[in-house]
Amino acid sequence: MSRFRPPAWFVLLLPAIIILAAVVLIPLILSFYSSFTPYKLTRPETLYKWIGTFNYEKAMKSVHFWSAFGRTVLLLTVALNLEMLLGLGLALLVNKVTYGQRALRTIMMFPMMFSPVLVGFQFKFIFNDNVGLVNNALQSLGLTDRAIPWLVDGQLAFFSIVVAEMWSSTAVFAILILAGLFAVPRDPIEAAKVDGCTPWQSFRHITLPYVMPFIYIALAIRSLDVARAYDIVQIMTNGGPARRTELLWTLIGRTGYVDAKMGYANAMGYISIFLAIIFTVYFFRKLNAARSELGMAG
Amino acid sequence: MAQVQLQNVVKKYGAVEVVHGINLEIADNEFVVLVGPSGCGKSTTLRMIAGLEAISGGDISIGDRVVNDLPPRHRNISMVFQNYALYPHMTVRENLGFSLQIAKRPQAEIDKAVDEAAQILSLAEYMDRKPGALSGGQRQRVAMGRAIVRHPEVFLFDEPLSNLDAKLRTQMRTEIKKLHQKVKSTIVYVTHDQVEAMTLADRIVIMRDGHIEQVGTPLEVFETPANTFVATFIGSPPMNLLSGQIAGGEVAIDGGPKVTLPDQFAGKVQDGQKVILGFRADNLMPEGHAMPMEGASAEFEMVVNLSEPLGTETLLFGSLAGKEVQAKMLNPRPVADGERLQFQLDLTRCHLFDAETQQSLR
Amino acid sequence: MNENLQHRIRARLLKLAHFVALFIAMAIICVPGLWVVLNSFRPTVDIMAKPPVWIPRGLNLDNYRAMFGAVGEGGVPVLQYFTNSLIISVTSTFIAILVGMAGGYAFARYRFKGKAAIFIGLMLTRAVPGVSLSLPLFIVMAKTGLIDTHMGLILVYVALNVPFTIWLIDGFFRQVPIDLAEAAEIDGCTRWQAFWKVEFPVARAGVASAGIFAFLTSWNEYALASQLTRSTFSKTMPVGLRDFTSEFTINWGGMCALAVLMIIPALILTFIVQKHLIAGLTFGGVKG
Ligand SMILES: Nc1ncnc2c1ncn2[C@@H]1O[C@H](COP(=O)(O)OP(=O)(O)OP(=O)(O)O)[C@@H](O)[C@H]1O
Ligand SMILES: [Mg+2]
Repeated sequence: MSRFRPPAWFVLLLPAIIILAAVVLIPLILSFYSSFTPYKLTRPETLYKWIGTFNYEKAMKSVHFWSAFGRTVLLLTVALNLEMLLGLGLALLVNKVTYGQRALRTIMMFPMMFSPVLVGFQFKFIFNDNVGLVNNALQSLGLTDRAIPWLVDGQLAFFSIVVAEMWSSTAVFAILILAGLFAVPRDPIEAAKVDGCTPWQSFRHITLPYVMPFIYIALAIRSLDVARAYDIVQIMTNGGPARRTELLWTLIGRTGYVDAKMGYANAMGYISIFLAIIFTVYFFRKLNAARSELGMAG
Repeated sequence: MAQVQLQNVVKKYGAVEVVHGINLEIADNEFVVLVGPSGCGKSTTLRMIAGLEAISGGDISIGDRVVNDLPPRHRNISMVFQNYALYPHMTVRENLGFSLQIAKRPQAEIDKAVDEAAQILSLAEYMDRKPGALSGGQRQRVAMGRAIVRHPEVFLFDEPLSNLDAKLRTQMRTEIKKLHQKVKSTIVYVTHDQVEAMTLADRIVIMRDGHIEQVGTPLEVFETPANTFVATFIGSPPMNLLSGQIAGGEVAIDGGPKVTLPDQFAGKVQDGQKVILGFRADNLMPEGHAMPMEGASAEFEMVVNLSEPLGTETLLFGSLAGKEVQAKMLNPRPVADGERLQFQLDLTRCHLFDAETQQSLR
Repeated sequence: MNENLQHRIRARLLKLAHFVALFIAMAIICVPGLWVVLNSFRPTVDIMAKPPVWIPRGLNLDNYRAMFGAVGEGGVPVLQYFTNSLIISVTSTFIAILVGMAGGYAFARYRFKGKAAIFIGLMLTRAVPGVSLSLPLFIVMAKTGLIDTHMGLILVYVALNVPFTIWLIDGFFRQVPIDLAEAAEIDGCTRWQAFWKVEFPVARAGVASAGIFAFLTSWNEYALASQLTRSTFSKTMPVGLRDFTSEFTINWGGMCALAVLMIIPALILTFIVQKHLIAGLTFGGVKG
């Protein structure tokens, strides 16, 4: 009598699958269902009322939703691109250092240890119009005698959020790109020098293609993690003033918890999940393309 | 006009000096090979010529220009690296054309130069592959092709054949030789394989520990080594070296036979001087199995410990005065291990070195 | 020689520019963090002073004393938060590593149908934004009574960390040649022994860096914790930061002190494994 024995890989993967199913999949199914109901936390019986795609239609028609959506995409695009460029620059600067590089690397990772909430508070404080570091510095240097309303004006607030987000996450790019720079073999770079390349040309034609996969890894990791920005924004402005920095995530949080409209919030949540998945899948594909370009696929 | 000149060139890494003020003049169109044991500073020297390594002292000039501080791109050189250093993300064609493209040459000219190089090195079939899909020998050829498309004044090779198997290495060696005849450029070539050095070079530069030990044509360094290091480094099997002392017109080998002082050293040594006698296996042969020796010769008996038949000749390992000595036997016959044979040493081909300085007494 | 001189001058100038740029970059990175540390030693009056007080004066430990002081005297139960954070982060990291090692090993060593699809599926669970997940999780946890418990948050953090852990560890196990394990098996090891004695030690750097990432994520997580914890018994430090805010005022000094307490363990850990961190990310990502 032989019993069925599952294959070893399945047994090994089982714990991961179970826990992800329990913590992510089941709640997501539940929320998917509830997004078709008018579920309100305060009135549990509403969970059983089917209203079809009403919540989705409502979101599609909502100006607030679309402006939050647009702002989120804008924030992601602006922040990720700037972080990538700055991270690349920082990594190049550090990579050129021969003496004391270890210490610089550690300093570079400093912001990674700050919880995003903490970053939120920290920059809320730094950009405070009355006693914040930035205004104090600008005023003491005599550059302005006004209190610049960093977190009150819509555009300045967006700018401040981008700065905070960049401070907190550029390190991730820099570290990964630095890892990439370490992995660039020396030979082709020297060959390029001998072939007549200026430093810029050898960077452009040799180093950059090598580092590209690392940039995409960083983008992929970051896009898996972008919702970290939620913590920062929630603390700094919580979508305010008057929704001028509203992002999808703050809108969802407020709709769900403050207004207790779970069904509607979940419908918007689904849209945000798709947004995140699209970004992630895009970067993973780019990563694979860049890898096979270098013959590293496998 | 692209002679290369090194004057008192020094290289230091921090406090450690690895190249100690070397002087070298390489003529236009000359094929010079740098040889020496691992770590002696061959690559460092070559890389200083290329401009990949800053020099810590002295002057390097290429053509009529001092190039000490110039970056590689202003030196008009090209280099073939040990690991080929092909650009993995470019096809063979792109690899070959890269330097011309960087120099913003017209596309037609690039195509022409690339096709020409591809033809010289028979690469036409692989032009659209990436380096990852090439064999070792093919990559090697691409690396050489990349060097020749630019028509540089000086070619630099850093152990270009060391990653190839024996057969391919022989084949590529001939191709490099042919290439030199075709392109007519100055070549500086680094290797630690002395056969490669002997077959390719117009002149050989033998280095040790950051010093140049001898510079000369292959024949010169083989026939008249400047010191015991060169004597053992060049030639295979290495030259036999036995220490001894001059005693009245004879060299008394320590704990062994006495041999007549070869004529060529008469008057160059003093009585009682400690010396090292050197001779190659080809000049020590058992009686009856030797070439007829024209000049003076010495004879002594030696036990053969081991014999290695090589076909037309047999290599014999004997021991003399407690040292291993290698000899050769023509028209071979089987030799039993432990057999005692009478040997003839060709004195005209013997070398004598001062025991203290290790320099040749010639 | 003129040409040489020109290149030498240019090299010097570039070096100077490099140094200046590096200095500015490091300053931007350090100042906001150091500002927090500095403020944790200053009385609130100084922090809020107008005109600003630039030269620090009267540095003291009052904020720390208040923080560790009894609740009700304006103190926040910091020690309790610290313990909660520690229990939750360490336990969840430990479990995530075990689960991730099993999963990573499966991906690195076995061939099976649908491998790529399962892998991407696992990774995508990480892409779900915390807020979007927190709503349904809140409902499920409330139903199962896991809300406001250590257990609940530990489970959530394990799930949060497992995908990335699997990714990194998978990459590392691929670096370990399969011959190595086979040689060990021929030498008489069981598969189990071969794993622990041969493959695990070689892949340890990867496990270490995965561990660090998992720990930092749990230690710093806010979006989920803020919804799934309610009381002192399970609140973590990032959530505890909010205790220093009230409707209209924020106790900056106290908050900075708590922030310092939060950063120190992360700093120490990161410093210890920073070398592995780079290696871990490289292997896991590119060569995987
Ligand atoms: N970056 C460095 N720092 C310190 N010492 C170095 C450095 N690079 C090379 N060296 C030393 O310089 C010496 C010469 O090195 P080089 O590479 O020129 O040797 P080589 O003759 O090319 O040897 P091989 O045949 O093994 O390639 C060696 O002893 C080496 O240890
Ligand atoms: Mg070398």
